[in-house]
Amino acid sequence: MTDAILVEGLTKVYKGRMGGEVAAVNDISFSVRQGEIFGFIGPNGAGKTTTIKMLLGLLFPTSGKAQVLGMPAGDIQTKERISYLPESPYFYEHMTAVEVLDFFCRLFKIKGKERKSKIDELLQRVGLAEDANRTLRQYSKGMLQRIGVAQALINDPDLLFFDEPTSGLDPIAHKDIQDLIISLKAQGKTVMLSSHQLSDVERVCDRVAIINRGKIVRIGDMNDLLSAGRTVITIAESSNELVEEIKPIAERITVDSGTVRIYVEADENVYKILDVVRAKARLLSVVPQKQTLEDLFVEIVREVRK
Amino acid sequence: MIIWAIAKTTMGDALRKKILQVFLVVAIGLIVMSFSFSSLSGFSTRSGAGTDLLLVKSFGMGLIALVGALMSLVMGVSLIPQEIERRTIYTVLSKPVKRYEFIIGKYLGATLTLAVNIFLMGIVFLVAVTLKAHWAVESLTATLPEMELKVSDVQVFDVKSVLGVVMIFLQFTVLSSVVLFFSVFLTPTVNFFMGMGVYVIGLLSTVTKTIAEAGEQGLTTPVIFLYKVLHIVMPNFDKYNITNSLLHSSEITNLTKYTIGMIIYSLIYSLVMMLLAIITFERKEV
Repeated sequence: MTDAILVEGLTKVYKGRMGGEVAAVNDISFSVRQGEIFGFIGPNGAGKTTTIKMLLGLLFPTSGKAQVLGMPAGDIQTKERISYLPESPYFYEHMTAVEVLDFFCRLFKIKGKERKSKIDELLQRVGLAEDANRTLRQYSKGMLQRIGVAQALINDPDLLFFDEPTSGLDPIAHKDIQDLIISLKAQGKTVMLSSHQLSDVERVCDRVAIINRGKIVRIGDMNDLLSAGRTVITIAESSNELVEEIKPIAERITVDSGTVRIYVEADENVYKILDVVRAKARLLSVVPQKQTLEDLFVEIVREVRK
Repeated sequence: MIIWAIAKTTMGDALRKKILQVFLVVAIGLIVMSFSFSSLSGFSTRSGAGTDLLLVKSFGMGLIALVGALMSLVMGVSLIPQEIERRTIYTVLSKPVKRYEFIIGKYLGATLTLAVNIFLMGIVFLVAVTLKAHWAVESLTATLPEMELKVSDVQVFDVKSVLGVVMIFLQFTVLSSVVLFFSVFLTPTVNFFMGMGVYVIGLLSTVTKTIAEAGEQGLTTPVIFLYKVLHIVMPNFDKYNITNSLLHSSEITNLTKYTIGMIIYSLIYSLVMMLLAIITFERKEV
């Protein structure tokens, strides 16, 4: 099966004012398989939106290759099968929700009755049927985001690009978008999701790429990336000597009003520490913790910055 | 369908621009006010009434031309930059919309907006001229019944006035195409002044032509060459300015032929500008 997205050595260099050059995206390569939800995360200015825009043909790469659904990025025919929800989407504010969707339907050359039923169906789906005839000027941010989602679903796309879809949304709208992405996966759609909401990405994505300063620094299946975990051992009534004894095999130790928390990565070290602790302090708890995407992200970005 | 959808949206957006609405209201207000204009010679003579009407006609057409120019510039400069700034362009161009369709749609939308505005001003202008003529005739008939004056004697509403308004519209279709081309790569402020520069140079086409053809004393060859280039490249807005010819017995012998010629000129010039805009926009990053 052809990859939904194939990127090889993609680079985007901007010319600075003083004649210098800045690589917003620097020789990145990755692929997104059909039917998967692919997380694309990174700090602000890492190159996420630039990459997505190149895949949509809004920006042109300086070098490298970008294919979307087997065709070069920006191909007009391919755009019939993809959709894009930009971060904080803006629309023509003088229009009502119905008019906006009618406009976007016309861009797909959807005709007459089909257009009308499509608009009704989309408004129902995103929960805006009641507000369909209000102008967008009167809409809240969450409602605008829902219109953004509706316009992204007009053509029943095979591949969707979501750029910060939950940014600034209330918990209900946030949950709705999460559920939408999960339902899209169930329908076999491919989604490239760029978000700072790492818990969302962890929850819905099959694979993830972390981009930092224009370079992909980690990519892989979510389960593989987050397989590493740690155990937190909490003890009381310990001594400085005990802490010093444990230090070499612990990942990190914190002391707070007599309570000592020992963070341990390897299982064998957990047993070693427990053996030592049993005799010299009071054991309060032993809690195994799974590494979160946020932990991994922070760790990787800090590591790269160092 | 796509071009029309973009044009309709552009027009809807532009018609709601407060500044354009202000221009329109002020222009219509001034045209209505011109109803009370009277020349120094007053209505004591037949020629006085005629002069009055000429004043209303010249003022009306001049005003429509001025407001039309401002509207073309204000609306045109933001056609593309505003789409990028508001990010509406991302959702549009990520759909199966060819870039040339976007440009043509924007231009068509701007032209339709101009047409609506100029039509509204034109209607008020023509009504003002007609009423003024009737008023003048009634006034003169009352004071000088022996003159046996008829409405037709003082050039009431005629096709020539309509043609004058059409010419104003045509010239702004050209100016809009120039400003749209600039808006692909210039900021709105720079574009406004560039567009205004083109308009003024275009209005002074007779001057640039004279210098280009005859040369002026003390001008160097490169300067004369520059005038020649200016005369060829810049749109000849002077040719649209037929108000005087229309109001004072026409210097233009065949008005129909002249009008068709100007329509063709406008079409060709606008097409060339659109082509340049499309070529530039094809490689524009948004």
